[in-house]
Amino acid sequence: MDNCIAENPSPTRAKWRKVAYGGMQPGFDDNHTDECFLEGMVMNANVVKRDMLKVMQDAISISQYLCIVVLVGLVWTYTLRSTLDESSLLYLDVSLLGSGFLVLLLTEEMLSLNLLLHYLVNVFFFTTGLFVLAPIYQTLTRSISSDTIWAVTVSLVILHLFLHDYSGSTVTAPGALKNPTLTSSISLNASVVASVFIASRLPSRLQVFAIMLFSLQVFLFAPLVTYCIKKYSFRLHLCFSFSLMAMTLAFVYTLHRLLFVLLLGLLVFVTVVCPYWLIRMQEYKFEINGPWDEAKLCFDITD
Amino acid sequence: MGDSKRHRILMVSDFFYPNFGGVENHIYLLSQCLLKLGHKVVVMTHAYGNRSGVRYMTGGLKVYYVPWKPFLLQNTLPTFYGTLPIIRTILIREQISLVHGHQAFSTLCHEALMHARTMGYKVVFTDHSLYGFADVGSIHMNKVLQFTLADVSQAICVSHTSKENTVLRSGLPPEKVYVIPNAVDTAMFKPAAERPSGNEITIVVISRLVYRKGADLLVEVIPEVCRMYPNVRFIVGGDGPKRVRLEEMREKHSLQDRVEMLGAVPHAQVRSVLISGHIFLNSSLTEAFCIAILEAASCGLLTVSTRVGGVPEVLPDDMIVLAEPDPTDMVQAIKKAISILPMIDPQDMHNRMKKLYDWHDVAKRTEIVYDRALKCSNQSLLERLSRYLACGAWAGKLFCLVMIIDFLLWRLLQLWKPAEDIEVVPDIVLSLDEDRGMSQDFQAFNEDHSLR
Repeated sequence: MDNCIAENPSPTRAKWRKVAYGGMQPGFDDNHTDECFLEGMVMNANVVKRDMLKVMQDAISISQYLCIVVLVGLVWTYTLRSTLDESSLLYLDVSLLGSGFLVLLLTEEMLSLNLLLHYLVNVFFFTTGLFVLAPIYQTLTRSISSDTIWAVTVSLVILHLFLHDYSGSTVTAPGALKNPTLTSSISLNASVVASVFIASRLPSRLQVFAIMLFSLQVFLFAPLVTYCIKKYSFRLHLCFSFSLMAMTLAFVYTLHRLLFVLLLGLLVFVTVVCPYWLIRMQEYKFEINGPWDEAKLCFDITD
Repeated sequence: MGDSKRHRILMVSDFFYPNFGGVENHIYLLSQCLLKLGHKVVVMTHAYGNRSGVRYMTGGLKVYYVPWKPFLLQNTLPTFYGTLPIIRTILIREQISLVHGHQAFSTLCHEALMHARTMGYKVVFTDHSLYGFADVGSIHMNKVLQFTLADVSQAICVSHTSKENTVLRSGLPPEKVYVIPNAVDTAMFKPAAERPSGNEITIVVISRLVYRKGADLLVEVIPEVCRMYPNVRFIVGGDGPKRVRLEEMREKHSLQDRVEMLGAVPHAQVRSVLISGHIFLNSSLTEAFCIAILEAASCGLLTVSTRVGGVPEVLPDDMIVLAEPDPTDMVQAIKKAISILPMIDPQDMHNRMKKLYDWHDVAKRTEIVYDRALKCSNQSLLERLSRYLACGAWAGKLFCLVMIIDFLLWRLLQLWKPAEDIEVVPDIVLSLDEDRGMSQDFQAFNEDHSLR
């Protein structure tokens, strides 16, 4: 079936065939290149054609999460400066927890009472555990200098942002199909460690508990909540993202002018410049497939 | 010798005896046939364990086991310029006229070709494998290949699919690439005098049990075939990481008496395993040219294989049944093979294979490539640098820099160790015993194997 036929220039010359047996083909050199050379090559078979608007909409998820992380950083800064006291932190925690549950209730179609009770019990255990372990966190980094703490925290947060899984959620509702990948687990762990470091710099036990609860709430459950919102209604997702971005920018403006400019620049870069750049680079994509490719197994190998 | 010139060829590769494989076999058998044609052949490879220095093999084949230790998968450590002195010494001492490198994966081959070009020798390269384009390893390998092939005199590939692959990877003009397939030693792989009798059909599998060779497909196919045909049994030869999965499959379906696992089969015993079967099964996921299929066909077995790479070009349609690399399709192909098995005559197949594949024919065609290579014009350094510049925006300049440094090091070496000081090996022509047949030579090869 691979017999490539060449034109007969003269009646005595046999046709060239794409075969390896039989020695040198009479009338043809070994370096004869036929018209059917590279006939089986397929270019750019799996390349997705991207639309600018769709890519920008997808980039909104990234900038939304960026704003969430910036807000967490803001709360950390205010707490470390003692601008925010324990009671306001605790109110913040409870209100966040409540609103998170509300969002889950409203958007999740198949949330039964049993599942809700299961969630509530887990949250109760989680909170109690944190409260009991708060004294340990408080004395954890007493011997380490502050500069090291700030440097490590910043690098861990940057690592968390780089490796974060923006398309879904690492902590999934029970019964989810996809397992979390290695990088998303690493990013989650980085954020948790950063929270522990920040919490260990605080003077009182209640503050430590409150800030740990806040950080862990956001890092563990915010992706799940935003994922539920996005799944429920895209317009709600867009409204939520824009209001979050506006709120973040306002808060950062009151804190520090330079940081505000940086954040604004970063958001514009992620939402506008990067999609444009990606679409421009797509022209250079050159994917080659052909009969020389290694065959892909169509079944999963279960060990 | 006649009116064609006598060439002095240096074969370079990391892969040679005492290692076993397609490339090693190819280099050895091609060298033997070229020696018979009257040329001088010297092989250069790296030291294997204690086997270091100069050795002589059958027919006066001189092998230099250069004392460089392999570091990864039988490859020498790439040092760019470390091999320049030894290669220069060998080239001058043996009065080489042409350097022939084998296998893109061999670092020694790339370095030798680079130094040979710097010193002005003509260079031929043979590629034995297929590579992809998408993963990091392949991208790196393709760039290295582009560097080596930017200035090669001629290139040889083992199948037409391999030629397409090489041309795409390296950017060579297709007219420079010759397609000369491997061959099989039909004198060694003779069918049994009598076919294994009885109403049992034996399917033989001999391959390394790794992912690339489709061991996972075997795990799916064997139980299904055993279920459909109660009179079929399997013989699986070879070892590898996937052997455990096959053993598990055997236990799970209670096929201990129907599937025989032989473990690693030494090359000298491959024929005896093959002639005990009726059908040969090859399930590779990628293959530039499958010599195992040729050996099986030479022993009179009907082949069932996956349609990948260069396999469709290897045998005529009536000697092979092709299937997609999918378990259901392969089972269908085995079914078809079993149904046409009574019409196959092993001796007839063997006689046809003798006409279709012959190492002497391969050597003659390679000789033509050498003649063409030697006719290529000599180019100065500046003319050659322009070819390297075309390799890429950054890579081109880097390659030029590498070649310039190589050139300067060569000149330095010429001053430090002048060519006149290197003793030249005199030409010793071994008296060719006319009565010695090919089969005796190849039996000697097998004795070389067992005398490790």
